[in-house]
Amino acid sequence: MTVWGILLAAILTAAILFVPKAGLLALWNRFRSHRDRTRSEDALKHILAWRQRSGPASLESLAGSLRLSPSTVLHLATRLETAGWIQCGAAGIELTPAGERRALQVVRAHRLWERHLADDANMPIGRLHQAAERAEHSLTVSQVARLDAHLGHPQHDPHGDPIPSADGRVASLNAVCLNDWPVDMPGRIAHIEDEPDAVFRRILAAGLRPSQVVRVVEAHDASLRMQVEDAECVIDRALAINIHVSSARRDDLYPADAARLSDMRQGDSGEIIGMGPECTGFSRRRLLDLGLTPGASVQVVLDNTFGDPRAFRVRGTTIALRREQAEHVWVRPRESAARMEVSR
Amino acid sequence: MPTSPEAILERSDSLRREIGGDFRDRMVGALYESAQQVASRSVRETGKRKWDFDQRVDRLVTSRSLGLPIMLLLLALVFWITILGANVPSQMLANALFTVEAAAAGWFDSLGVPLWITGLLWHGMFRGLAWVVSVMLPPMAIFFPVFTILEDLGYLPRVAFNLDWLFRRAGAHGKQALTMAMGFGCNAAGVTSTRIIDSPRERLLAILTNNFVPCNGRFPTLIMLAVIFVAASFPPAVASVAAAGAVVCVVVLGIGFTLAVSWALSRSVLSGEASAFTLELPPYRRPSVLRILYTSLIDRTVFVLGRAMLTAAPAGAVIWILANVTYGERSLASLAIGWLDPLGAAIGLDGVILLAYVIAIPANEIVVPTMLMCYLGGSMMIDVATYDEIRVVLIDQHGWTLLTAVNLMLFSLLHNPCATTILTIWKETRSPRWTTLGALMPLAFAFATCFATAQAVRLLP
Amino acid sequence: MSANVCNGCPAHDQLARMGIDVESYDHVVALAGNPNTGKSSVFNALTGLRQHVGNWTGKTVTRAEGAFGYKSRRYKLVDLPGTYSLLSASQDEEIARNFLLFGQPDCTVIVTDATALERNLNLVLQVLEITDKAVVCVNLMDEAERKGLEIDVRSLSRDLGVPAVPTVARSKQGMAELVSTVAAVIGGEIRTSPLRIETPAGVSEAISGLVPLIEDLVPGLANARWVALRLLDGDHKVREALLSGELADLAGSQHASAPQRSSRITAIAGAQ
Repeated sequence: MTVWGILLAAILTAAILFVPKAGLLALWNRFRSHRDRTRSEDALKHILAWRQRSGPASLESLAGSLRLSPSTVLHLATRLETAGWIQCGAAGIELTPAGERRALQVVRAHRLWERHLADDANMPIGRLHQAAERAEHSLTVSQVARLDAHLGHPQHDPHGDPIPSADGRVASLNAVCLNDWPVDMPGRIAHIEDEPDAVFRRILAAGLRPSQVVRVVEAHDASLRMQVEDAECVIDRALAINIHVSSARRDDLYPADAARLSDMRQGDSGEIIGMGPECTGFSRRRLLDLGLTPGASVQVVLDNTFGDPRAFRVRGTTIALRREQAEHVWVRPRESAARMEVSR
Repeated sequence: MPTSPEAILERSDSLRREIGGDFRDRMVGALYESAQQVASRSVRETGKRKWDFDQRVDRLVTSRSLGLPIMLLLLALVFWITILGANVPSQMLANALFTVEAAAAGWFDSLGVPLWITGLLWHGMFRGLAWVVSVMLPPMAIFFPVFTILEDLGYLPRVAFNLDWLFRRAGAHGKQALTMAMGFGCNAAGVTSTRIIDSPRERLLAILTNNFVPCNGRFPTLIMLAVIFVAASFPPAVASVAAAGAVVCVVVLGIGFTLAVSWALSRSVLSGEASAFTLELPPYRRPSVLRILYTSLIDRTVFVLGRAMLTAAPAGAVIWILANVTYGERSLASLAIGWLDPLGAAIGLDGVILLAYVIAIPANEIVVPTMLMCYLGGSMMIDVATYDEIRVVLIDQHGWTLLTAVNLMLFSLLHNPCATTILTIWKETRSPRWTTLGALMPLAFAFATCFATAQAVRLLP
Repeated sequence: MSANVCNGCPAHDQLARMGIDVESYDHVVALAGNPNTGKSSVFNALTGLRQHVGNWTGKTVTRAEGAFGYKSRRYKLVDLPGTYSLLSASQDEEIARNFLLFGQPDCTVIVTDATALERNLNLVLQVLEITDKAVVCVNLMDEAERKGLEIDVRSLSRDLGVPAVPTVARSKQGMAELVSTVAAVIGGEIRTSPLRIETPAGVSEAISGLVPLIEDLVPGLANARWVALRLLDGDHKVREALLSGELADLAGSQHASAPQRSSRITAIAGAQ
């Protein structure tokens, strides 16, 4: 009896440990291989980023960035060198061509995933980076290719960073640091650096978003006063280091006589001027398809008990939109449109 | 040298980079510019603008003060018509079908067919079918056409418009209100109707929570309990209003659960913000009778009834076997009741109720007759003629209390979807994961809620 | 010109498996349109009770098929999902677009709401970019009248370059004319020359750079400009079709006989 009991217990233990795919051993192996993949990929990314910023990376910079002990980093570096991805020389750690391709693949997965979360899941820009940091290590190359196709081969991630192509080409960013941008010249925010997180959050809190067309109203020694759509904000020059701007037309600035569709009252009407850059992906495409394109006239026709959503009459149909969508639609209210006609 | 596809793609990619990111904006802009030109040449306003009527109606049904009351009134009206109108035909159908059963069984007996074949075929399978048809068909044949009239008229999008704010708060889509309304008729039909929600995440929310709307098959249980327990404790003058109030409370609770669960799901497994919300409010249109009859009867009623019948016949057979096959001294049913009793007691119900729900997985309609069969120790499902008789059976003979009634109402509202609905969830999602969640999550809620209520009541002095 | 020509071809096996009877049809007609335009009324008015409702294979999008006859020819009518556009790549739009592009129906009926023509023409113009063989059905004429709108259908037809037929599908007004017009477009008695939208601002060089390349690769492709526009927009289905040679097949079959085409359609429908 006891013998059978022990035997049974032994078989059970063995099963729990060694069952393929679901056994504890298999789980441990999977955990370890995923951890190894995450570490290697993070290391390659770090070396790539470091090179672009300040030259070859070192074991110290690697340890600091990945928050690993020196011995673990040494072990990691040896493994990467054996795999043929890096070369440790006198100047520091360099990527081999194969290692660079691998690093760019990870960057590509990261930025596409951010694009996907922003466009398809409507995730706020402040949470994208964290989510993509996790996802980038579990996507396969073919999954990334499918994601790319599904998103319509986007060129930039939601922060404005160029997405590397499948064969590892990266478009260069033709942009100037906001601190060096002339006063009063309209500029499109081409890129907002998402690291360090605290700085990024303060920039977002000031109301700045990628793709917005902005204007520096006054430049001070320590700060910049800026026009951002229909608001003004003051931003420290220390934060402005992380913002890059490219040239834009004056027409792309938020017009002085414009209003947001969400701010119009029931019965008001106007002419659509355009749609803010924050409205992206499926949401933007659907609004365009419904006829909310520049030049269309629009009227607020229905409120409801809760005041949201509201219904608008556009191109002969009645469309209900939530406040968060209507606020991205810029409108020239009817009276001022009439005045414009006269002055012309 | 002919061009290769790869070269064309490469060229188009580099051109795309040159053009910049707003190509789609320009493309749609150009489309609408052409559309505007063509339309301006072919459409002329004659000035006889009579369509202010539409707008006036719209102002009324979406107004700040009257929008919601009008909506609730219409909903109550639909229920009232359904319950009132279905009563008599239900009774007639039941009588007719049970007469057929008796005649057929008698004919089998006279032919000398073994008793168990007669029992399984007629008292088991046929009776299961007859019950489902007579309980389900009349309410559905009334509910679906009335619902389709509202749909055809163009009122339903206004409901979504009125309620969207609530659903947005829960991370869901306003159109979920419509799928829920459909769920009052049948949850399977409600799940199918989630196709009107075009974003996958919000559609999944609507599918997983549709079960919290009590369907036609569960209403008889709710109404019976409301009449026996709630109405009985009020003076006769207001008894029917009190009963109706109790049913409305359960429905409102169900809606509360829907919103709460949608909220919880959209912050856990289905995380993400509510994506693009656009809802067209089409002009009101005169409903077309033929289309209403066709859609509501062929597409919805017959379709749902067909699936229910498919599952009810085997369930009827199972009930008959449980009641008539004995192991030792006792029937399988009474053995099962014995096992289930402790679990039932823990959640304020009893073994009979749980057994009835296990058997009723294929179709919720047979819960009440199965329960009565077990209580009365009969060998087939029983239809007791009046509520007074049922009251005697439940309260005087089997010790039901108000707690039992309340918990049964909760259990009926929250428990797992019927087999038809589970099958439909599978067909709509094609995902074992979501189907399992859709089936087990409500069951867990039902047990947890009933357990909590039972314990709370027992702790009270 | 009967579909029996194609008894042995592989598409037939696929049809048989799908339970679709293609042998008894001479032509395939697609029904496109915005949601809320009375498209299903048109479908019902054309097919009566001869209809079959199912799903697009592998998708949870309802697909209705029906049939009608006219002058001893039999027509199969496929109801496409109601969409606002063919650009956004939602599931519905992709199904409709793929059927129009790869299924190559013999004629496409685009149902429009006479009370909101401008919005509806957005879809009409997109369909006309893909196919020449189309008829615009201007439905809900009674509603338009009620709202004080007068629709000049002849001007519409002239501007669009395809026939436009005024209808009130609910009371079956104009259905006979719709059917005869469809037959005339398929038979070639009515020649169509659809309006093509003006090239969006600032991309004409890109288009004129791409179109010759596409025409060079796929000679005889009827909608090379549309393909170029889709490539610039990053449409992955069109990219794939270009890479896999599917587009070349299309160009080939644009000259083929109708029966082969109709069997193609259902084959594609099965492959959805």
